[in-house]
Amino acid sequence: MNAKTSEEKTAGGRIQGLIKSFGLPRLIIAGFLLLLFIASPFVGANIFTQLTNVINRFGWNAILVLAMVPMVQSGCGLNFGLPLGIISGLLGATLSIEFGFTGGLSFFVAIALATPFALILGTGYGWLLNKIKGGEMMIATYVGFSAVSFMCMMWILLPYHAPNMVWGLSGKGLRTTISLEGYYAQVLSNFLKIKIGSFSIPVGNLLFFAVLALAVWAFFHTKTGTAMTAAGSNPTFAKAAGVNVDKMRMISVIMSTWLAAIGILVYEQGFGFVQIYMAPFYMALPAVSAILIGGASVNKASILNVIIGTFLFQGIVTMTPTVMNSIIHMDVSEVVRIIVSNGMILYALTRKTEGSK
Amino acid sequence: MKNNTTTQMSFGKKLRRFLSDNPVPIMFIIICAVCIPVSGFSPGYLLNEIMTRMGRNTFLILCLLIPIMAGMGLNFGMTLGAMAGEIGLIFVADWQIYGIPGVVLAMIISIPISIVLGIFCGKVLNMAKGREMITSYIISFFINGVYQLVVLYMMGPIIPIKHSSIRLPRGYGIRNTVSLLNMRQCLDNLMSITIKGVKIPVLTFIIVGVLCLFFVWFKKTKLGQDMRAVGQDMEVARDAGINVERTRIISIVMSTVLAGFGMVIYIQNMGNLPTYTAHSQIGMFCIAALLIGGASVDHASIKNVFLGVILFHLMFIVAPSTGTKITGDSMIGEYFRVFVSYGVITVALTMYETKKRRIKSRAGQQLKADQKGDEADE
Amino acid sequence: MNKKKTILIRVLAVVVLLVIAAAMMVIGRGHTVYFDNVAMEYEGKTYANPYRVDVYVKEERAAKLKADERGMASWMGANFKMTLEITENKGDEPTTKEFKVKLPQSMDGVIINIPALLADLPEEAYLSEFVQTIVEEPEEEEPSDTETDTPVDDLGTDGFEGLGDI
Repeated sequence: MNAKTSEEKTAGGRIQGLIKSFGLPRLIIAGFLLLLFIASPFVGANIFTQLTNVINRFGWNAILVLAMVPMVQSGCGLNFGLPLGIISGLLGATLSIEFGFTGGLSFFVAIALATPFALILGTGYGWLLNKIKGGEMMIATYVGFSAVSFMCMMWILLPYHAPNMVWGLSGKGLRTTISLEGYYAQVLSNFLKIKIGSFSIPVGNLLFFAVLALAVWAFFHTKTGTAMTAAGSNPTFAKAAGVNVDKMRMISVIMSTWLAAIGILVYEQGFGFVQIYMAPFYMALPAVSAILIGGASVNKASILNVIIGTFLFQGIVTMTPTVMNSIIHMDVSEVVRIIVSNGMILYALTRKTEGSK
Repeated sequence: MKNNTTTQMSFGKKLRRFLSDNPVPIMFIIICAVCIPVSGFSPGYLLNEIMTRMGRNTFLILCLLIPIMAGMGLNFGMTLGAMAGEIGLIFVADWQIYGIPGVVLAMIISIPISIVLGIFCGKVLNMAKGREMITSYIISFFINGVYQLVVLYMMGPIIPIKHSSIRLPRGYGIRNTVSLLNMRQCLDNLMSITIKGVKIPVLTFIIVGVLCLFFVWFKKTKLGQDMRAVGQDMEVARDAGINVERTRIISIVMSTVLAGFGMVIYIQNMGNLPTYTAHSQIGMFCIAALLIGGASVDHASIKNVFLGVILFHLMFIVAPSTGTKITGDSMIGEYFRVFVSYGVITVALTMYETKKRRIKSRAGQQLKADQKGDEADE
Repeated sequence: MNKKKTILIRVLAVVVLLVIAAAMMVIGRGHTVYFDNVAMEYEGKTYANPYRVDVYVKEERAAKLKADERGMASWMGANFKMTLEITENKGDEPTTKEFKVKLPQSMDGVIINIPALLADLPEEAYLSEFVQTIVEEPEEEEPSDTETDTPVDDLGTDGFEGLGDI
């Protein structure tokens, strides 16, 4: 108590406090990104194009990051099992194309078709995670991996027939990448798009994210939502207060899985391709590190963390190749990304978090 | 009392107990038993393959045992040692050291790198007690980034690499594959015996045997006992005057150094080094093999290693062709074996966690009962 | 006291490892040895090449050289041994001779001129370094992690090959 008040008195102490609450690595990453932005005009990169890129990618990825929030809040830890939700989304996407839907309609059909899969897989996943409290993250990782490799077999074996999805020669087995041209490519991004010179904002995409983020935010202010937060921050206390902890965790896992399914569909509409087989394998890691960069910890996350984190992470991913390459003439962006994202996860894992095991 | 019950157990009960104690190995024996006849490989071919792969992999898997003993779970950080071994091999290839001296030199070069990485890994894991596995898993990714930074960008301008045969044409960085033709299978071929077409790499097996003996001896030393104590209960060990943090770091360092050696042995058998991909899968495959051998997160023995190596590789060899025969698609079998590797790890981890929880809740109930008893006594 | 002992043991272990490493670098140094069956001019005198030379290294024939031909073999360590089967003129009975050559540690590729060796000339005469002419490769080989077969963008996932043998 005493130390705290004295700390607040000095300016240096205040800065220290700020660093403590925001986290040194986050400050470094934010500073790094700022530097990249400042440096970009000097190396001949158009700052508006760069910003457009960052905002675009923010729109594509934000919902995948948002999918982390419910599970973190309910005490299930970081959702390394994100690929499970992604698979539901991929099933929805491929089925929507298989059934012959085109244009913007196919996007909403894909969401509708992905939902039951997300519910079923999420329920199973939640049931499993309730059995192994304390070891969620490691097992979630491997649940994701197993699911992805299992689906690799299924993509070959399932009776898909749509000619632009299957291999041309044999007429069966899905291709590794499926073009969404004529389906829902850019459906959200082009909706209400604002364009000023080289700078454009995909309003539709951001709006879609805002609606979902608002829904999640609102959910956490309902009775169930607060109960979920309680179950996450102190399970014993929540149990004593009459909260069904297992049920709360189950709901959060299903929510996360469903959001991941939507997230991958939004990502695909921006990217323009459906990637299957091994593509979803490591998709959890960027999302995990993004939310951590945004200031979340292993057992606490907010919508603000999602927005800041996705922006910082995508900013670094898009800016480093152009800026760093022109400065040192080496393509170190890949390495920078690996070190930054995994370093961030490591940092979060080694923090002492109260209330978790 | 205990003896009595075991002798009284009927055969059926014993069998059931055996089955419930070893579900993973039994499942695998069944998978292999189904796949082998379908795949159509000759027993001679299979035996030969198993021998080669045993020599290649056993050493790497053995290095996982020490962290398990110290209660740190499956060491996904063994990848760090593998990277250290690869750096040793890159230097040896550049300095043109051939044959067994090259292998020995690569191992020696890997030692300091492994020790530094091991200390780093151990320190980080000490900060993340209770989630060692996921942390060591992320560490392996993190260090992979550093490895790429060193090998892809620093080798050439900063770390001298003479030969253009292993350097990328752009002037810095190492090529995708480094040929180790002059080192290829030099350990395996020395003293090898061929019986009816089955080549047995005797020297490699002797090295593995020496390592096994070392483990048996190590368990009995003061350090080994300390590690087991730390693995049983950290708090109790600390009360007993053991430096828990240091013991844990030592166990990781030992594992990392051994993984470096294991990687050198593994790569000398392969004959070329895939610079950027060799280590990416190695941790996962080794852990899957160990778990298939019946090990769990908190208990593993040398027996598990050998059984695991044989069963895992048997599955690995026969799965693709079985898949092709059954479904007509060659990829199915390949995906199948990847799926099985991941599936096994998932199942084993789940079983371990549920067991841990059951024990915990039982202990809780016991405590409650004891307290009630105490109250009644008063 | 005990601490001193552990430090001593550690230092000793490091020294032993360094000694082994140094020994390995000498013993295991690999060389590519090239044999030239080319007439040699040395200090004003010309040494003609024999009609045909068969080079045996480690009991295996490494090269069969007629006039102006070059053969090669790899060798580990500094003490290179070879057996030459020399046919001086066409139709002659071949004579067998064994040669030991000390290979310099610093050279990767070593050229041995056979006529000079046969004439017992000093080392500088028959031994020279093989310098590889650097061939510029037109196509840049890029490491795998930047390789993408399909669209350039990915979620920022690590270059994962997925399947692989172990």
